[in-house]
Amino acid sequence: MTDQQFLELFSRTLNDLLGEESILLCMETRRIDVPNWDSFSYINFIAAIEMELGIRFSVADVESFENVGAIVRRAQSLKG
Amino acid sequence: MLFNSYEFLFLFLPVTAGVFFILGRSSKVLAIRWLILASLFFYAWWRPLNVALIAPSILINFGLARLLQRLLKQEKGSAAKAVLILGIVFNIAFLGYFKYANFFVHTADDIFDTQFVLEKIVLPLGISFITFQKIAFLVDVAGKRVVSFTLQDYCLFVLFFPQLIAGPIVHYREVMPQFERAPCVYDRDNVAVGSTLFFAGLFKKAVLADGIAPLVTAIYAQAIAGDSISFVYAWLAAIGFTLQIYFDFSGYSDMAIGIARLFGVRLPPNFNSPLRARNIIDFWLRWHMTLTRFLTAYLYNPFSLWLTRRRLAKGLKGIGGKNTTVGSFTTLLMMPTLLTMCISGLWHGAGYTFIFWGFLNGMYLSINHLWMLLMRNRLTSRPTLRRVMGFVSPVLTFLCVVTGMVFFRSPTMAAAWNIVHGMAGWHGIALPPVVLERLGSLAGSLQQWGVAAAPVNSEFFPLLQWVAGLLVLAFFAPNTQQILARYEPALGVETVTPYKSGPRLHLSWNASVAWAIAVAAIAAVGVAHVGGVSEFLYWQF
Repeated sequence: MTDQQFLELFSRTLNDLLGEESILLCMETRRIDVPNWDSFSYINFIAAIEMELGIRFSVADVESFENVGAIVRRAQSLKG
Repeated sequence: MLFNSYEFLFLFLPVTAGVFFILGRSSKVLAIRWLILASLFFYAWWRPLNVALIAPSILINFGLARLLQRLLKQEKGSAAKAVLILGIVFNIAFLGYFKYANFFVHTADDIFDTQFVLEKIVLPLGISFITFQKIAFLVDVAGKRVVSFTLQDYCLFVLFFPQLIAGPIVHYREVMPQFERAPCVYDRDNVAVGSTLFFAGLFKKAVLADGIAPLVTAIYAQAIAGDSISFVYAWLAAIGFTLQIYFDFSGYSDMAIGIARLFGVRLPPNFNSPLRARNIIDFWLRWHMTLTRFLTAYLYNPFSLWLTRRRLAKGLKGIGGKNTTVGSFTTLLMMPTLLTMCISGLWHGAGYTFIFWGFLNGMYLSINHLWMLLMRNRLTSRPTLRRVMGFVSPVLTFLCVVTGMVFFRSPTMAAAWNIVHGMAGWHGIALPPVVLERLGSLAGSLQQWGVAAAPVNSEFFPLLQWVAGLLVLAFFAPNTQQILARYEPALGVETVTPYKSGPRLHLSWNASVAWAIAVAAIAAVGVAHVGGVSEFLYWQF
């Protein structure tokens, strides 16, 4: 998958989760940049993309993601 | 050895820092070794046996971390996971034996009417904080966020005396790279900023927290003895203790951050004017920040993620936006929140009062999240409601925090309920005759509503003055991180909310004669108030 495909998938997942339509994530997006993307929605977002991609993030991963780009990079490495 | 003791102020700290700077000029390695030795001496001062208890635990953790690292290099993921779990279980068992064995034996005796007796186990100082830090280190190694470390590095990370006993709880990756970069020599800016923080903390502790403490203790002693505590006294005691612990622990944190800065190391901030919080979620992001960070990362998130994965695998909806249902809210938000906060309570102390304090805060947080889920859109579209809540919410938050702190302070549930009943007016409302006299005609109306005139004991007016004064400071004065903001007093301090949410008084420290005089005055008053044994409240944990 390319970075763009990851970003599209992540944006679609987050829009579904927050009941929004217009969220467009980019590599630099941080959680505080998206209104209502609180810690609970974040955990749900992580679990939802895990299911979608068939991967598992570690506890250390979940805590350390600084922005969407970091999630993309880790997802890419887990996908192989 | 207490930070607020003469032996620390006039012997240990100057000698440790002085020798560190001198050694650092010729050999950084020697300076670091000296710091480890001094930290061990600091820890042993209270009870030399402590070193014998903590040393094997450090060596075992180091060995497990090394093994974990080797297994990860060999790509033996399952074995590495087993070692990580073993390490976490070992640390929790170590803490559990010293901190909770007596509590569980007494609880079993209460429930099963048995007569088990366990010899009194003396708690090694700071064990709760040290345990969390060691667990975080193992998780970081497992997550490959710590890739190289020596025994010396690890000893320094665990034993570094400014944050050894009561935090701030730090990550290896935050502190150790700073030691690698630090020149370990005298630096004028670091010493100036560090001293300012240290003396501000000493003033908070020795003058403010220790000033109000005996007055609060007197009322709690009455509650413990079973005397009914009336409305005004109960509120004064509850608010008084909240202010006492705030100035005590934020004072300690300032001192810890200041001492670390003398050695060229920035620790993460632990307090950001929490009593000014907008809501209870905000409060927990400002109060004991490094503990909240630890519990969120290593307890709440894994548990919540596990529950969410199970729920999504069953084809059920998660939480967030329009997906939220009663089931998802209860399972995915309320359960992990209550569990995390109850464990937080138990971590603070082995007693029902601490567990109930945690449970109460878990309920506060759950209600706050529910409110935000239900009202988010309405608050956006109704500016009047938003303005009203902008006033109501901080007041409600403060009252919730104050009520919770009654359970934190009380040694028994009976004493806590005595105070809480008093706060609810169940023990009547009594005011001193002199106050009623000054109220004029209003006094008559108050007496018709059941307010009685009653003579007051000697604590009443001094406590009233202390509470009023400390409330003004807590709500309107800038905090130390804000005053020193331009010198990055703590790690990531730029993320701490600056002035916009708060204080009316803007103060900004700089290296000037005026500030030197001000800090010297604060230091003199702080040192003058040092005397006797006055432990920090959080050192008992």
